[in-house]
Amino acid sequence: MSSKAVLSHLHRADGSATYSQNGYTIIGAVNGPVDVQRRDELPEEAAIEVNVRPAVGVGGPRERHLESLIQATLRHLILVRSYPRTLIQVTLQVRSLPEEESAGIGSVLTNSSLTLLPHLLNTAFLALLSASIPLSTTLTSAFVVITSSGKLLYSPSSTDILRAQSIRSIHVFAFSAQRSLLLSEGEGEFDVEEWEDACDLAEDRCCRNAGIAGENMDVDGEVMNLADFLRDVVKEKVVKEQKWKTAP
Amino acid sequence: MPREADISANEREFIQQALRENIRLDGRPFDSFRSLELSFGDEYGVADVQLGKTRVIARISAEVTAPFPDRKFDGIFNISTEFSPMASPAFEVGRPTDAEVILSRILEKAIRRGGALDTESLCIIAGTKCFSLRADVHIVDHDGGLIDASCIAVVAALQHFRRPDVAVEGENATIFSIREREPIPLSMLHHPICVTFSYCDSGEIMLVDANLAEEQVREGEVVITMNKHGEVCQIAKYGGTSVDALTLLNCTNVALEKVKDITKFIQSKLEQDAKKRDVGGLMAELSAENAR
Amino acid sequence: MATAQTIVLPGDKISLSALPTSPNPNKPLTLGPGLRHIPPSTITTTIAGALVVDTRKNATWVEYNSGRYTPSPSDLVIATVHSSLTEAYNCTLTPHTPYATLPQLAFESATRKTRPILAPNSLVYARILSCTPYTAPELTCVDPSTGKAGGLGPLKGGMVFEISLGMARRLMLGGAKGSVVLLEALAEKVAFEVAVGRNGVLWVHGGEGAQGIKITLAVGRAVQEADEKCLGVKDQRKVVEKALKGL
Repeated sequence: MSSKAVLSHLHRADGSATYSQNGYTIIGAVNGPVDVQRRDELPEEAAIEVNVRPAVGVGGPRERHLESLIQATLRHLILVRSYPRTLIQVTLQVRSLPEEESAGIGSVLTNSSLTLLPHLLNTAFLALLSASIPLSTTLTSAFVVITSSGKLLYSPSSTDILRAQSIRSIHVFAFSAQRSLLLSEGEGEFDVEEWEDACDLAEDRCCRNAGIAGENMDVDGEVMNLADFLRDVVKEKVVKEQKWKTAP
Repeated sequence: MPREADISANEREFIQQALRENIRLDGRPFDSFRSLELSFGDEYGVADVQLGKTRVIARISAEVTAPFPDRKFDGIFNISTEFSPMASPAFEVGRPTDAEVILSRILEKAIRRGGALDTESLCIIAGTKCFSLRADVHIVDHDGGLIDASCIAVVAALQHFRRPDVAVEGENATIFSIREREPIPLSMLHHPICVTFSYCDSGEIMLVDANLAEEQVREGEVVITMNKHGEVCQIAKYGGTSVDALTLLNCTNVALEKVKDITKFIQSKLEQDAKKRDVGGLMAELSAENAR
Repeated sequence: MATAQTIVLPGDKISLSALPTSPNPNKPLTLGPGLRHIPPSTITTTIAGALVVDTRKNATWVEYNSGRYTPSPSDLVIATVHSSLTEAYNCTLTPHTPYATLPQLAFESATRKTRPILAPNSLVYARILSCTPYTAPELTCVDPSTGKAGGLGPLKGGMVFEISLGMARRLMLGGAKGSVVLLEALAEKVAFEVAVGRNGVLWVHGGEGAQGIKITLAVGRAVQEADEKCLGVKDQRKVVEKALKGL
C-alpha cells in the first residue's frame, strides 16, 4: 500500500499531519514555539516534548521509549537555537494499526515497538513541516526485516511477515536529505554485513535517487521512494497556499 | 500552569450583543447544530466525528478478563477520556482540566450508568470469564461541543464494534479470532445522545452546540442526555445562575428533536458503512485466494 | 516583483545561479524568512515552501502560510492586554507564548497623569519595537520619530477574527500586490473600520446597533472565507456580492 499524507488539517494546532502507510494511520500535531515550564526550560535552545498516544489505552513504558527515541532524533533536526527558552510540543496519536497487529496475531511485530517507529517519525516530520518550524534538513524513515533465511524485506505488511514465517531481526533507519544516517535501531540477531545490507536497502528507498526514476519502482510497480513522496506533499501544500496568485 | 487563553473583552461584548440581537457568529439559528460528519475506520469500532471544527475519535476495544467478584454475571465496560496537547497546548498530559473531568463524568453517567450497553451479554462464563470493553475517546481538534461530539462518537463506535465470537463447552471457552469466525455486534439497549445547551442572561438565551468562543462567554450549560424514545437519561447543569424550570422543559423538547435527527444520521452512516464493508469483504477474500 | 518560484524543502542548498543578481554590485543580498547562511557561502532553506526571488530588491525568501506567528521588529500586531504592571502592560500576541511588554507611557502624548488605563482582556493595536530570541517583545503605540499614534492605540468595540498569517500579510500589502479586493469592494457600499495584525488577527468594527453587528460579521466572515478557500480576485468579488446581499 502506498503512503498518504494530509497536512495542516487541524484547526487548533500550529501544524498537523495525518500519515498513513500499510494500514498504519497516525495523526501528528505540533504546537510551538510556546511557553515552556520552568523545569523544562533550556537557556540556549528550545525544549522538545514528544507525546506518543496509543490507539488503545494510555501510554506505558513502550510509548515512553518511543518518545525518547523520537525526541533525540528531532532535537538534531530542529534548529533549536533559534527559539531559546521555548517549547516545541509534538503529539502523535496512533489512529489505526494493521488489523493483525491490533488483533494480536502478528506475533513478532506485536512484540516489537520498532515497527511503529518509522511511521511515527515520518508523521512527526510532516507535522513539523506544516508548523513551519525551522529545520536543518529533511527526515525519512523506514524499517527493514531480515527473515531467518537471510532475506531482506523492505517495510513489509503484516501479511508479508506472516508468509515469511520467522523473522530474525527488525531494523529501523532514518536518513536526512544528505543521505546521512540519523537513527538506527535494531532488534534481534544479526551480523554486521546483514546490517549493512539492510541499511543500504533502506537508504535506497528513503533518499532521492540521483539516477533514473525507474529504479525506484517496487516489484508491484509502486513508487516507494520516500524523499520524492515528501516533495510531492510539500508541492501540494504550496500549490494550495498560493492558489490565490493564479486564480482569476 | 498553562491555561486556555481568555477571550478579549471586545469579543465577549460583541458576542453577547449579537446574541441579544438574535445573531450567532456563524449565522446559525440558536437551536441548530454545526455540520456533523461521521466516518468509520477500516477496523470495527472506530468512529471519527467532526462537529464543525471539533473532531473526536472514539475507539472500542475488547479483551477477555475475569469479572468483578461482586458482579459475576456482568462484563466490564470503561470509558477513558484523556485530553492531549494535540487539541490545545492548555491540555497537559496527566493533569486533567475541569473540562476533562466534566466530560468523563457525563459520558460515564450517560452511556455507562445509563445502561446503553447490555453488560450481561458480555459475560462468557459466570464468575471466571467475561469481555472487558474499553472506549478510548481521543480529542483531536477542539472548538467547543466536546461533550456532544464525544457522546456521538462513543455511541456510534459501540454500534459499529464487533466482538469476537465465543463457544462455551462446560468450563472451557474458545475465543475465535476475526479470521476464524464472523465477529458479533454488541447488544445495546438504547442509544443515548447528549445535547448541550449554553445559556446567557439567566436562561433568556439558550444556545445549542456552542462553539469555543460562545462557550467562553456563556454563564453556564445544561447537558441533557436522552434517547430517541424521549427517555431522559441524565440532566446536568453547570454554572451558578438560576434557570427557569419552564425553559428547562423547553430544552428537553428541543433535545428530543435533535436526538432523533442524530440517531437517524448515525443509523444511515452505519448502513452505508455496512454496504461498503460487504463489497470490500468479498473482494478481500477473493484477492487473498489469488495470492495463495 | 516576484519573478521565479521553486518549491524547497528544509536543508535544500540554494545554488548561486538561483540567487538574484543585482545590477548594483554595492547592494547587499538580503535573505528573508526561511533561509539561513552558513559561512562562507552556503545558503540553505529551513522551511518548506516556495522560494521567491526579487531581483530589484536583491532579496530572496521562502514563502509559506502555516505555523505560529513569530514576532519580528516593526510588525503591526493586535495584542490582548493580560495584566498591568507598575510601568507596563503584559500583552499576549498568540496564545501560550511569553508576554510582550507595552510600556504605559508608549501612547500618544501620554504622561504619568494622562496615560490610558487598559483593563485586562482589552485589545490594543501596536507596533513591535524590538524583539530578540532572548527577550520578550516590546510593543509601542507611538511612532518614535514623530510621537504621533498614527492609528495605533486601544481598540474599542468591534470584533476580532482569526485569519492565516499569509492573509494578514496580503491585507497589509494592499489591493494590487496582495490581490485582495475584498475590503475595498465592501467599503464602497458599507462603512466599517478594520485593523490587521500580523499575528493573524483581523479587527473589524462596523458601527453600533444591530446593523453594525451585521456589517462587522459580514466583513469578518467574507475575509475568512476568502482566506480559507484562497480565493482569487474574481471569486472575492462574488463573496462580496453575497455578503452585501445579506445586509
